Amino acid sequence: MASLLAGLALFGIGFLASCSTRDRDRLLVGMELAYPPFETSDTQGNPTGVSVDLARALGIHLGWAIEIQNIPFDGLIPALKTGKIDLIISSMTATAERAQSIDFSEPYLKTGLCLLVGKNSPVNSLEDLDQSGKTVAVKLGTTGHTFATQRIKLAKVLVLDKEDACVLEVVQGKADAFIYDQMSTFKNWQRNPETTRPILKPFQEESWAVGLRKGNTELMRPVNRFLQEFRARGGFEELGDRYLKEQKQAFKHLGFPFYF
Amino acid sequence: MALLRIFRTPPEAAHAPPPWPLRLVNFAAAFLLIVLIFYFSFHQLNYHWNWASIYQYRQKFAQGWITTIWISVAALGLSTGIGLFFALAQRSRWLALRYFSKIYIEVVRGTPLLVQILIFFYVVADAFHIENRYLVGTLTLAFFSGAYISEIIRAGIESVGKSQLESAKAIGLTRGQTYRFVIFPQTLRQTLPPLAGQFVSLIKDSSLLSIISISEFTLNAREVNSSTFSTLESYIPLAIGYLVLTLPISLWTRYLEKQHRYET
Repeated sequence: MASLLAGLALFGIGFLASCSTRDRDRLLVGMELAYPPFETSDTQGNPTGVSVDLARALGIHLGWAIEIQNIPFDGLIPALKTGKIDLIISSMTATAERAQSIDFSEPYLKTGLCLLVGKNSPVNSLEDLDQSGKTVAVKLGTTGHTFATQRIKLAKVLVLDKEDACVLEVVQGKADAFIYDQMSTFKNWQRNPETTRPILKPFQEESWAVGLRKGNTELMRPVNRFLQEFRARGGFEELGDRYLKEQKQAFKHLGFPFYF
Repeated sequence: MALLRIFRTPPEAAHAPPPWPLRLVNFAAAFLLIVLIFYFSFHQLNYHWNWASIYQYRQKFAQGWITTIWISVAALGLSTGIGLFFALAQRSRWLALRYFSKIYIEVVRGTPLLVQILIFFYVVADAFHIENRYLVGTLTLAFFSGAYISEIIRAGIESVGKSQLESAKAIGLTRGQTYRFVIFPQTLRQTLPPLAGQFVSLIKDSSLLSIISISEFTLNAREVNSSTFSTLESYIPLAIGYLVLTLPISLWTRYLEKQHRYET
């Protein structure tokens, strides 16, 4: 009996060891499919969006098969660090904090943080918002979350898992504002025009980049070359026209520079 | 082979507890095996540990842990009351009350806690203008756990033999007296071990309250993870923190089960 047990334990350890070898024939790209129109899924459940097309184009450029992995935003960097994925293309802002854990490619898109407030809210700027008695909703792990923990002094910060929940907090008046990027704020306002109002003027500029494991230079160089080429042949313009037509026009109308 | 004898209980003493040196050695062996498996797994991971970044956030961990404790304690007290009420309501002479508690129990036990929290907070609490999310969270947890506790208590009550109830009637006890002197003393003994188990679940389930931004232990650990990207360093203290709360209750349950076994 005892020798059987010992055998089982050895077998278990051997089994664990064989699982940990990581040889793949494809690139695993991590993104959270909850951020339309950049990362989302179609009605059949297939990944679609700007980042998905970007990942596929990168795959063609590198001659690798691409597999999209749907991972919650705050789990992307840990997944990359532990080798569960090879790249992050998930509308991720290249920040100094994140750069301590992973490497970033050249930025491919510019945006900024702004506010979604209640329709009749007296809040018109960040200064109005950062008062005691006010509440700010942020999404866990986003730059809005980092900004709020560092810069919001007096207002209470609500950390939520999902973008929808943050919007709902503002819609129901539980939170005074939701700090998020301009594009999503615009989209969330369009979905809830009776209850919310966007303040699109950015108070922090950000740029998105592809995330890679630290020191992964053999992938970094081709990724940067690809981004350069993709821009030169108008790939980003094309993606913008396909997925973001409405926003593009609205932002032009409002006088904010558009993205790519 | 003689060495292996220390890992086996002597057959002639199958019903008596094994002597303590034997227990100690075997406990150590089992513990070591688990440690080895984990050590091997972590070693295989080739992970760059960064405990220093986590240490900065010790205040946040402590705050979350304390929030988890008081939410759990409050929900624990409330859910015991709720459970007792609905267990009795199921045996009530008022049929509507009986159906009400049956529906409540089946709906709560048949749906995920996550869904209940979201609906309770964003729909029900919003309609009744309850703004305090800690209150809503604790209530949701109490009603969730209450349904299970009510079933535990009901099972305890029903385990009392019919002949006892008839005897109680025969010696002229009223319904209230029957509950007080015949049913409850036996129910209490029967239900304590499963109740303690339910309390362990309640403490762990409180982690789901993080989705409505209640800054309890799990949410705080996730926040630390999202700002340091040190996942394992954030979640290992989380696991230990919960274990510190649940392990004493589990051990207490074992003790109660033993007590109960000797008494019957």
